[in-house]
Amino acid sequence: MAVPGHRLDRMFNPKVVAVIGDKGPGYMWLHNNLPIRERGGRLYSVQLDEKEIPGIEALGVQNFTSVLDVPEPIDYALVAVPRQVAPHVLKDLIAAGAAGAGFFTSGFAETGEELGIRLQAQLTEMAREASFNLVGPNCMGLYLPKAGVRFNADAPVTDDGEIGFLSQSGTHGIMFSLVAAANGMYISKCASIGNAIVLDVSDYLEYLMLDDETKVIGMYVEGVKDGRRFFATLKEACRRKPVVVWKGGQTEAGARATMSHTGSLAAPQAVWDGMMRQCGAITTNNLDETVDAMKMLLRAKPPRGDGMALLAQTGGQSVSITDAFAKAGLRVPRFANETYAALGEFFNIVGGSYQNPLDMAGTIQGNMETLDRVLRIVDADPNVDGMAMELSAMFAARQWKAKPETLDATIATLAGHIARSEKPLVVILHPAHEAEYVASIQPKFNAAGVPVFPSFEQAAAAYRRALEFARERAG
Amino acid sequence: MSFEAVLAQARAEGRTLLTEVEAKSLLQEAGVPVAATLLARTREEAQAAADQVGYPVVLKIVSPDIAHKSDVGGVKLNLQDREAVGAAFDEVVANAQRAVPGARITGVAVQHMAPQGTEVIVGMTTDPQFGPVLMFGLGGIMVEVLKDVSFRLVPLEEKDARQMIDEIKGRPVLSGVRGQPPADIEALKQTILKVSEFVQAHPEVKELDLNPVFAYPDGALAVDARIVIGEA
Repeated sequence: MAVPGHRLDRMFNPKVVAVIGDKGPGYMWLHNNLPIRERGGRLYSVQLDEKEIPGIEALGVQNFTSVLDVPEPIDYALVAVPRQVAPHVLKDLIAAGAAGAGFFTSGFAETGEELGIRLQAQLTEMAREASFNLVGPNCMGLYLPKAGVRFNADAPVTDDGEIGFLSQSGTHGIMFSLVAAANGMYISKCASIGNAIVLDVSDYLEYLMLDDETKVIGMYVEGVKDGRRFFATLKEACRRKPVVVWKGGQTEAGARATMSHTGSLAAPQAVWDGMMRQCGAITTNNLDETVDAMKMLLRAKPPRGDGMALLAQTGGQSVSITDAFAKAGLRVPRFANETYAALGEFFNIVGGSYQNPLDMAGTIQGNMETLDRVLRIVDADPNVDGMAMELSAMFAARQWKAKPETLDATIATLAGHIARSEKPLVVILHPAHEAEYVASIQPKFNAAGVPVFPSFEQAAAAYRRALEFARERAG
Repeated sequence: MSFEAVLAQARAEGRTLLTEVEAKSLLQEAGVPVAATLLARTREEAQAAADQVGYPVVLKIVSPDIAHKSDVGGVKLNLQDREAVGAAFDEVVANAQRAVPGARITGVAVQHMAPQGTEVIVGMTTDPQFGPVLMFGLGGIMVEVLKDVSFRLVPLEEKDARQMIDEIKGRPVLSGVRGQPPADIEALKQTILKVSEFVQAHPEVKELDLNPVFAYPDGALAVDARIVIGEA
């Protein structure tokens, strides 16, 4: 989908892409972007250096020695030329009527050197004057999985993108994209925004909030250029869809680091935090929290309250899961009398418990009908707003490996519950001693849309964030 | 005086700091509850002003050259009658002249001495990126030592004012501790919102402090006010 009439629309939905100045032996940017051809687009190369041209043509990519020779209007260009050449390339891109370009080229104001600062000022002036959509510089450009435009060779090409992501760091943008994908969540459109000399966070945010394909928005941000505009845009975006903001440079030492990274001026953290709440944004502190928050938003029903039913497999874990959720500010209420009565009919209390938290392995004994029965009873309890259930790799991995159908049945039972319940369910599967195996079965949970977290604490924090978001939304 | 007139006068005198009386009259006009304060240039004016605002009164020196009034003996509290006001006028003026020789003395602010309430602070600063930012906190040690304050960008909505009161750690103090009645949260909220409106309407205001604001079981009152304007 697109946002007709928006200045970024053509660049964000490209059919014709040019890679400018890619180099062997790796030809990283051409390799990243080869999928464009499978997706119905055209990929061209622009490279003057005769030594590089045979390698480019060996990839089956047509090369030109000038941007102006590319036979079609360029929707998006990735520019990887030396910094002194960048203004010349920009001039040609503007003359050729290109819709936009990501400048991988670095060595500008972030270096603090006079030449870098001067070249950056030159690019800024040229792009502004021509209203040219310059992404970066000093960035990884755009990742548009549907179009086959990528900033990393491992990034998936897919039509299933739901997350729009902005990143002031190329690494964080790439890593978020890859980790989200490993968790079954895909990018709709991602921009690594670098020094943001022309297009800033607010420009991209405005597009993503209007883009139908984008269900949730995430961002890694160290600072913004126009604070008032960011405030207004974020507030508007949060009214339309959930926005998760991962702020870099929250500590004084971290804030100093952002200065040399992207030259961002950091507002006092307390002012930033106040603004986030004012806008209704969901805030996170790191990559994992960001991925977890997204998972909760995309794969769980919105929480309507803080009363948790906690379903653990064994006694010690029932204590730990309770501590984790209580520390996150969630309640573990007593069940209603009807729930006790219903569970009491079949619950094995020898070595188990049907108080909240449940200690249930001895009752379930691998029987999915019994698990389903427990889920239904607890779900119906009026004191319960949401559920968290532990799966134990320590106990179950041996059986799941021997009989994969038992794992499939467990996932199907959980997926069935999620489909019929109005209340959120989060599942915790600690890797225990089976990290490799647990990683190998993650795609099964992803495919079934079951939100799985590796620790009680992560699940509790994600639940808490989704709850706060739901409450802010309710006013 | 209108905002524009106060601004013009301050700029004509090369001041960026408004006097307490100027600040309070502007805020009062904007609907912010402030303790009635009048400027007196003479002993007699001070006595008449005291009659007008009502006893007991507080006298404070007003001088563009004196920022910390109490440090120079420029503040007299709890004055009960005309006689005490007259004596206090002479004393604060003499104290100020002695402490800061050559200080320009505009006069003395005569203020009704409000009964003690729970002290809170409403402040505003200008962030270089985000513009006007409002701050709320409990007064005294809570803000100075513990930095227990919350922030929001101007303009604020009703829910922002409510949340910035609710999110400070010392919030239970406002609900009433040790048998104290709860503070009027609605009045605090309205104070914050009126300050937000005032600041939004007057981008010339760069800093503003209501410190303290007394929160009462019924109502709230700013007993001191400070406003800094940008240079022309």
